[in-house]
Amino acid sequence: MRHRHISGRLLAGVLVAVATVGLAGCGTGEQALPANQVAADPPRPVGMQDPAVVPTGPAASSGSCNPRASLRPSGALPRPRQMPSGTAMAKIVQRGRLIVGVDQNNYQFGFRDPQTGQLTGFDVDIAREIARGLFGDPGRIQFMAISSADRIKMVKEGTVDLVVRTMTMNCERWQEVNFSTEYFTAGQRVLVARGSGVKTIDDLRGKKVCAAAGSTSIRNIAQKGTVPVSVVNWTDCLVLLQQNQVVAVSTDDSILVGLAAQDPNTEVVGPKFSDEPYGVAISRESPELVRFVNGVLAKIRSDGTWTRLYSRWLTSLGPAPAPPVARYRD
Amino acid sequence: MGSHGSAVAVPPGRLAVAPQPRPPERLRRLTTPLRRTPGRFTAILAGIVVLGLLTGVVAFVGVRQRADLVRGVTARSGEVAVAAQSLYRALSDADATAASAFLSNGLEPPAMRDRYQRDLADAASALTVVSAAVSSDGRGAAAVARITARLPVYSGLVETARTYNRQGLPLGVAYLQEASGLMRDELLPAAQELYAAASTELDEARDRAAGFPWVAVLLAVLTLAALVLTQIHLTRRTNRLLNVGLLVGTGATLLLVTWLTGSALVAAGNLGDSRDEGSAQVNLLAEARIAGLQARADEALTLVARGNGAAFEENYGVMMERLAGADGEGGLLARARAAAPDDTTRQAVEAAIARSKEWSAAHRNVRALDDSGEYAKAVAATVGTGEQTTAAIFNQLDEALALAITHNGDRFEREAVSAGRALTGVDIGIVGLGLVLLVGVAVGMQRRIAEYR
Repeated sequence: MRHRHISGRLLAGVLVAVATVGLAGCGTGEQALPANQVAADPPRPVGMQDPAVVPTGPAASSGSCNPRASLRPSGALPRPRQMPSGTAMAKIVQRGRLIVGVDQNNYQFGFRDPQTGQLTGFDVDIAREIARGLFGDPGRIQFMAISSADRIKMVKEGTVDLVVRTMTMNCERWQEVNFSTEYFTAGQRVLVARGSGVKTIDDLRGKKVCAAAGSTSIRNIAQKGTVPVSVVNWTDCLVLLQQNQVVAVSTDDSILVGLAAQDPNTEVVGPKFSDEPYGVAISRESPELVRFVNGVLAKIRSDGTWTRLYSRWLTSLGPAPAPPVARYRD
Repeated sequence: MGSHGSAVAVPPGRLAVAPQPRPPERLRRLTTPLRRTPGRFTAILAGIVVLGLLTGVVAFVGVRQRADLVRGVTARSGEVAVAAQSLYRALSDADATAASAFLSNGLEPPAMRDRYQRDLADAASALTVVSAAVSSDGRGAAAVARITARLPVYSGLVETARTYNRQGLPLGVAYLQEASGLMRDELLPAAQELYAAASTELDEARDRAAGFPWVAVLLAVLTLAALVLTQIHLTRRTNRLLNVGLLVGTGATLLLVTWLTGSALVAAGNLGDSRDEGSAQVNLLAEARIAGLQARADEALTLVARGNGAAFEENYGVMMERLAGADGEGGLLARARAAAPDDTTRQAVEAAIARSKEWSAAHRNVRALDDSGEYAKAVAATVGTGEQTTAAIFNQLDEALALAITHNGDRFEREAVSAGRALTGVDIGIVGLGLVLLVGVAVGMQRRIAEYR
């Protein structure tokens, strides 16, 4: 009897074990497929953050000064190549070329013409006008493509004479460098797909909106109640918009115009909800160069060159407005 | 079975040695025949036959398994490892070529387009080989699934980038960078994982194939011992010095042990060489080649990024340091030179080291041009057609490493084939020797048993 009990239990045990192993085998067979299934996530631009890290800390204080006020030109412009001796302009003329830091990746403001390989755009043309004022020849210029983070450093170290690179003047930056008078008034707006129905930034509450990491734009869109997504370069935002990973891109219209020009299925909408006066950055060591550049800017405002340049590059923002009014602190 | 009381021809002294209490009836009935000499001889015969059979079967199966494993090392695992390596290389090359082609202002040179397309085709065919070989539940299978799903996405992004680039729009740069990011963050790590898995599998297969047949040799030695003891016993019991049958059996067993041991040692030696001189070299050289390809991609992407390429330039430095060390005399290339098994490899690696130094110098020139605003000249020095462009230097570096890889791959195959040859015929030999052993023992013992009838 005991023997039969034991053998019976053994037999039962073996059967259970076989059944368990069998079931486990079936189980892994069925689970093997999901384990190898790959998520069909869209590819992401390198460095994309979703949701973005919104810069903390106070926004750049702008109340302590008038960021638009620059140095008044001293009398009439000197004739090309005849700069007063000892000035920064005289040194540049002696060197034979003006060295300017620009962007080569901002369509319509500073980029390489694919046909000629030459740098071109609104910023680049402004720089060429300054070279024309110095040499009587807009070609006497050497461009250096610089990143946005390097702008102030390049000016302070004297690596470049000027930086013309969609640079907003504010009181914080005035502590580091001098600026010319305002040559373009940018403001933050919104880029969306045509026919999306979005009219202003307020329609984007709770939706994903793209901006460059660490920019003031991302702080602004976070304050407007959107879900900010950050990328490294502005064109990455257009990639995300085309891939339906974000609903809109929001930053200065100077950048949006370049994105809109690359994809006719997008449009810039809504009013400006920030004020970004652009100026040419110049070393604090050479105020005479600031006055000279302001003289050139005053000339192109009045002789129609500014309007011609605007119409050449920026018509997707609408017809050319009146040039920004120069303000001086004397 | 006879009853226990029947007349027995047992020497009286023998029984007297065992003055134990009477064993139970059943056991006695079983053991009694063994106490008679013919019964004992029969038992010895049966024992040796069983031992011999067991030795033969274990040795035979073991040799067949090892021969299969060696064939697996040369054919299957070797092929998979080569395919995984070529997948990894093709993907890295596609990344570097797409970036270089992009620099040519939309009108990419046809040769570069061809190279990119060949890379994709190579990657696809290598992927087919690898995916047929990986087991469906291993980590290799997940990597294969990832590559299969992401490769078309990658090529789609590259084509989008190309289209925008032909229109001269900077958006192309963003798409190319997204494609390159997908390649580096997902495809290349998966390919690397696959390559590591295939190499591990190859090493394991090799270890199993090179294992010493302990059980079979132990059994054979036991058989040998049993045969020798039997002969001593017989000589004492029957006063005959030699038993031809048993001697033949002993000889066959001795031969079997020697052959089994010798063939296993030779095969293990060849397999060890195939690892040390062949596939270890190939691994090192392939790693160096891929580091070079990634540095090349970074060099091109730095220019593609047009002023925003600091991260790529930094990565170029990391890759070059991995390739050739900080001073051009270290890194993977120096390791490959130190481990080079022959002159052909050493010369190829030395050529690669010389090219990597030239490349570093030419690259500094490119950076100086780009940093001073001479973008067009920097591009020309990177993807131009001259002899001193980084493109030309990089291609020579890549070709030197490719040559060394092919050479060492052949070497690996040669050693693995020799290992297979060392095991050829051993299985048939074992069957033959086993039969000789069994027949010899049977005949030898039968004679003695018959003498008692």
